Amino acid sequence: MSQEGSCKSEEMELANTLSTHGESKGGVLAHLERLEIHMNRSRKKLEEPQGAQALGSALGTKIQKLRRLRDKLRAEVKQRQAGVKASTANVEPDQTLDMSEQEVLERKRENLKAILQAYRFTGLSGKLTSRGVCVCINTAFEGNLLDSYFVDLVIQKPLRIHHHSIPVFIPLEEISAKYLQTNIQHFLFSLCEYLNAYSGRKYQADRLQSDFAAFLAGPLQRNALCNLLSFTYKVEPGGQSFPFCARLLYKDLTLTLPTDVTITYQGMEALSTSWEEQRASHANLFRTKPLHQVFTSFARKGETLDMSLVS
Amino acid sequence: MQPLALLLILFVAALQRGKEMDETVAEFFKRIILKIPMIEMMTILKTWGFLSENQLQTVNLRQRKESLVQDLVLLCEEKRASLNDAALLDIVYTQFHRHQKVWDVFRMSKEPGEDSDLFDMEQFKSSFKKILQRALKNVTVSFRDAEENAVWIRIAWGTQYRKPNQYKPTYVVYYSQTPYAFTSSSRLRSNIPLLGQALTVASKHHQIVKMDLRSRYLDSLKAIVFKQYNQTFETHNSTTPLQERSLGLDINMDSRIIHENRIEKERVQRVTEETFGHYPQPRLEFAQYKLETKFKSDLNGGILAEREEPLRCLIKFSSPNLLEALKSLAPAGIADAPLSPLLTCIPNKGMNYFKIRDK
Repeated sequence: MSQEGSCKSEEMELANTLSTHGESKGGVLAHLERLEIHMNRSRKKLEEPQGAQALGSALGTKIQKLRRLRDKLRAEVKQRQAGVKASTANVEPDQTLDMSEQEVLERKRENLKAILQAYRFTGLSGKLTSRGVCVCINTAFEGNLLDSYFVDLVIQKPLRIHHHSIPVFIPLEEISAKYLQTNIQHFLFSLCEYLNAYSGRKYQADRLQSDFAAFLAGPLQRNALCNLLSFTYKVEPGGQSFPFCARLLYKDLTLTLPTDVTITYQGMEALSTSWEEQRASHANLFRTKPLHQVFTSFARKGETLDMSLVS
Repeated sequence: MQPLALLLILFVAALQRGKEMDETVAEFFKRIILKIPMIEMMTILKTWGFLSENQLQTVNLRQRKESLVQDLVLLCEEKRASLNDAALLDIVYTQFHRHQKVWDVFRMSKEPGEDSDLFDMEQFKSSFKKILQRALKNVTVSFRDAEENAVWIRIAWGTQYRKPNQYKPTYVVYYSQTPYAFTSSSRLRSNIPLLGQALTVASKHHQIVKMDLRSRYLDSLKAIVFKQYNQTFETHNSTTPLQERSLGLDINMDSRIIHENRIEKERVQRVTEETFGHYPQPRLEFAQYKLETKFKSDLNGGILAEREEPLRCLIKFSSPNLLEALKSLAPAGIADAPLSPLLTCIPNKGMNYFKIRDK
């Protein structure tokens, strides 16, 4: 009681010297800190004479307790090590018998997780979220896995898109307006179509720019949707072959092949029949085969020509 | 003899003319280069790409800025830099200092059921330039391609009788095959309709509308309008689980501290997270609300309550990062959660200017 009394008087003293919390040095928290320090100090002062001895004996018992704990843990460790050695010595080729139930469940869980992760290879997968589902569209072209896009849907009436990573030039609003509320399957498949086609066109344009730059006599002109490509090319890289100007239009955004192909040449004079034939055949090639495959065939033709020259 | 001498004189005159850069162009170069801070000088010049590596190496960056400017202008003269090259340098400078301008956002629209967008950048550029040149005889239009299929356009406006003013240009950033264009707010308001028309026609749209969205932070405006500010998605493949936000109620804190309203704090945290998400908010400096509503008061009577006409007032919230500030209001205890939808709808609606009237 006397302890508390003296503490209270100390507090009051402090309270009197400092005015409102806004004006004291450091504010309420500092004030509370100071009170705490004071209290500790006053308590220590009262305990000190008996303190030293009591402290000594308390520490002594603590040391003994810790020593006992340490010995116990050491013994346990030795036991377990021996146990592990024994079990590894008796290892059977068929280990499934040794696994506990928990380990079996763990394995099953890992398996299922792996299957869920592998679902992305189907191109359309999803994960349930707290408000709905997050759909993942993995695009691919000719067996190459390309970019992934996400649509986070909130399952409410009406169904709405919370946020997404669809590029802004894909007509998402149009597709949502048509199908999102009435037929979610159609919505997802339509979106998949657009995105896969875009990825495919982008892949072809990228391949042309990187792998077949030697065939191009100038930069490849492309737009965001990769649905208008314009370039000047030669059948032989840096050779004497005639440069053609190609203009590929992909009017159907769900396709990876162009709808219109125009091949022209610079100059006013009429082409010789062989070049005319080539022009027509090239137009046909561009219309029917993916861009980079056309150029691969050009490269191969060049190779066979070389071979014939050599032999 | 005489025709030869004449020829010689003409030849020398031609040489001289070739060496002299137009005074106005030289002055323009000087002013642009003076604007560039010394730390950025090399980076900006390299990005501009007009002066060669060798020429840049001859430049002494340790001298005083005025003499550096003189050296650079001389180099530009030697290389016969044109007004267009100067305009490109101005674009590069602005791209590095885009926060110095305030950007408006315009949205274009097409007629429904139109053919798919076969956008040709070169066609767009030539069409845009032609429309402006046809309307105003004197106008300087320059283009610089940027990432993500965007193009930066710089327009210096003149009139039928006056040369373009190179010191008050308008910048437009257009993302091709999207309906959006961002323009730097210009004092010359009279040119905005023409600019809108040029953009619309050149990009094969039908209408253009100015959005109620404005900020210095171009990248944030882009994130808001393209809805790219929240790019975290839950998948089965993510190895790091969605981090459980520590509620600020640290377990390691002193056990003598008790949180009296733990439940309420957790609720506030949850609501804030639902509204604002985990991601960093796009950056806006202000939100403005123009109210034209009848005065509503809890207290009966009072002069204002009796008014029939709506009370007009303007409320403006300013902050170095407005959305982050709004996000921290409820957790800091300054406002109740959930916040007013007028505040939280800003990125979703793509607006930071509101007009509120009685329904």
